[in-house]
Amino acid sequence: MTLLEVQHLTKNFGGLTANDDISFHMEKGELVGLIGPNGAGKTTLFNCISGLHAVTSGRIVFDGEDITPLKAHEVARRGLARTFQVYVAAGDLTVEENVMVGCFMKTASRSRARAHADQILRELNIRDLSDYMVSELPVAAQKRVTMATAIGSDPKLLLLDEVAAGLNPNEVEAIMASIRHVHDEMGITVMLIEHVMELVMKVTHRVIVLDYGRKIAEGDPESISTNPQVIKAYLGERYVKEQRSSAG
Amino acid sequence: METIKNALDFSDFPRLDLTVAGAVALCLIIFPLFPLSSFAMSTMIQFLMFALYGMGWNTIGGYGGQVDLGKAQYVGIGAYTTAVMLIRWDIPFWVSMPIGVCFAVTWSFIIGYPLFRLKGHYFAIATIATSLVLKDIFEVWEFVGAARGLEISPIKYHPPDFLRLIFREDIYYFYFILGFFFLGILYINWFRKSRLGYQLRSIKDNEDMARSLGINVHWAKIKTYAIATGFVSVVGSFHACYIKNIEPEDTMSLDISILIALMAMLGGAGSLWGPIIGAGILIPLKSYLKEWLGAQAGLVGIDLILYALIIMLISAYEPRGVWGIIEKIRRRKRA
Ligand SMILES: Nc1ncnc2c1ncn2[C@@H]1O[C@H](COP(=O)(O)OP(=O)(O)OP(=O)(O)O)[C@@H](O)[C@H]1O
Ligand SMILES: [Mg+2]
Repeated sequence: MTLLEVQHLTKNFGGLTANDDISFHMEKGELVGLIGPNGAGKTTLFNCISGLHAVTSGRIVFDGEDITPLKAHEVARRGLARTFQVYVAAGDLTVEENVMVGCFMKTASRSRARAHADQILRELNIRDLSDYMVSELPVAAQKRVTMATAIGSDPKLLLLDEVAAGLNPNEVEAIMASIRHVHDEMGITVMLIEHVMELVMKVTHRVIVLDYGRKIAEGDPESISTNPQVIKAYLGERYVKEQRSSAG
Repeated sequence: METIKNALDFSDFPRLDLTVAGAVALCLIIFPLFPLSSFAMSTMIQFLMFALYGMGWNTIGGYGGQVDLGKAQYVGIGAYTTAVMLIRWDIPFWVSMPIGVCFAVTWSFIIGYPLFRLKGHYFAIATIATSLVLKDIFEVWEFVGAARGLEISPIKYHPPDFLRLIFREDIYYFYFILGFFFLGILYINWFRKSRLGYQLRSIKDNEDMARSLGINVHWAKIKTYAIATGFVSVVGSFHACYIKNIEPEDTMSLDISILIALMAMLGGAGSLWGPIIGAGILIPLKSYLKEWLGAQAGLVGIDLILYALIIMLISAYEPRGVWGIIEKIRRRKRA
C-alpha cells in the first residue's frame, strides 16, 4: 500500500530551485534513506512534505489524501511526524514534558499523555533523561528526544532529519537501534536524511539521492553505493576511503 | 474529573514550596485580624489584584512567551462594564462581571487574530498600540463619562451590599479579592497542566516544532490570550467597585500594562508562583515609594527608573526572574 506519493514537486526560493521536479513514493512499512551533498534540498523536501513550506508546484499525497494545500499542523494530525536538523530549545520543557507535547496530539488527558511519554522514553532507552531540561542536554541526546517527541504523536510516517549527525560511533549504534526499534517494533514507516553512510547502508531498504535539487538516483543501498553518478556527486573519495579503511 | 484533580493537585512542587505557600495563605487569611493602617490594607488589596493580573498575563506572556504590554485595555473593559451597568441600570457586579468578561474576550479575539500574525517585539508594540487606542476612545466617549470618568457613589446603596460589591470597609474587599486570588491559583494550576498549557510551552520553545506536532499555533495563542483577558477583566470589574472612581487615565494607562508584565517577569514568567512573588515585591515597594515621595516633589518618576532597572536586571541576569534563580539554586544542589 502506498503511504506517501510525491509527484513532480518543485520548490523555488526566489531564483533558487531547491527542489526540482522530484517524484517518488513510499510503501507502508518501508525504511527509506534520503542522501545528497550539502544544499541538495533534502531538508527543503521534508519541509514541503510536512507542510512548513508551501510548494511551488507538484502534489503530495499522503495515505490517499492530497495534503499539498494543508498547513503543517493539519499534516501532522493526519499522522506525519518529523524531527528537525537544527533544533533550538528556547523554552524550559523537560524531556518528559517535551515528549508529552507530542502525545497530547492524540489525547487531552495529562495522565494518559504522561504514561504514553514514559513508555516511549523507555522504549528508546532514554528514560533516565526524563527530568533534564531539553536545552541542557548535549546535541546527541536532544536529537533522540525530538525523535521520541515526534513518535509521541503516534505517526504513520516519521521523517528524521540527520538524527545521527555529529555523534560518536557508540551513539550512532544506539540511535541506529532506536530507528530499527521504531520501524520494526512500533510499525512506523520511516524516511531519514543522513550523512552517516554507515547508518544509511545498514538500516534502510531503499535510498533516494538528491543533487542540486534533483533526484539523481534511487535504489537499494548496495546499488546506490556503487552507482557512478552517486559516487561522483556525493559519496566521492570520502566514502571509498571509508570503505577501504573499514575493510582494512 | 481529571480537571478538578489537576486543579487541586500541587504534588509536583517540593514540600518546602507547599509549606511556604500554605504559611503565606494562612497569613493572608488572618491578615485583617492584626491592627492595621488603612494604608497597609489597601496595599494588600492592590497586591492581590496585581497578583491576579500577573497570573492572567502569565498564561500568554509567561507560558506562551508572547510579551503582552496591553493588559490595561482589559482592566478598562472590565471596570467600565461594571461601572456603567451599575450606575446606569443598577445591574449588580455578579451580572456585569461576566458580561465584562464577554466584552473583553470578544475584543481580545478581534485584536488577537491579526496581532498574533506578528512576532516578538512587533507583537509587544502592537499590544501597546491597541491599548492606547482603546483608552483614547474612552477618553472622548461621553456615554462612559469621557475623560472625567465615572464615579460610583456609595451613598446610593446600603453597604454592605454583596450583590453590587459596595462596602464601606476595606476588609470586605480584601476577602473578596482573596477568594478570587485562591480561585485564580487553582485555575492556573489546572491550566499549566492542561493540553493547552503544554502546547503553549512548546510554542515558546520552538514554533515550527510545535506546528509539526499538530498544534495550531495561531489558534492556541488566541485562545490563551482570551483566557488571560478574562482574568484581567474580572479583576477590572472588581477594581471599579473597590476604587469607585474610574478614569481612562488610571485604569487603562500604559503604566498599568507595563507594571503587570514587569511584575510577572520579575517574579518568574512561566511559573505558578512567579507573578505572586513579583507582585509581592513590586506592589509594596511602589506603594511605599509613593507614600514616602508624596511630600518630595521632583522625585516623581522614580518608579519608572525602578522599572527600567528591573528590566535590565532580568534581561542581563536571569530571564526567568526570582523563581528562575530559586530553581537554578535547587538544580545545582541536586546535581
Ligand atoms: N527558507 C529558505 N529560504 C531560502 N533559501 C533556502 C531556504 N531553505 C533552504 N534554502 C536553500 O535551499 C537549498 C537547499 O537547502 P536544504 O537545507 O534543503 O539542503 P540540505 O540538502 O538539507 O543540506 P544539508 O545536508 O546541508 O542539510 C540551499 O541552497 C539553501 O540555501
Ligand atoms: Mg538539511
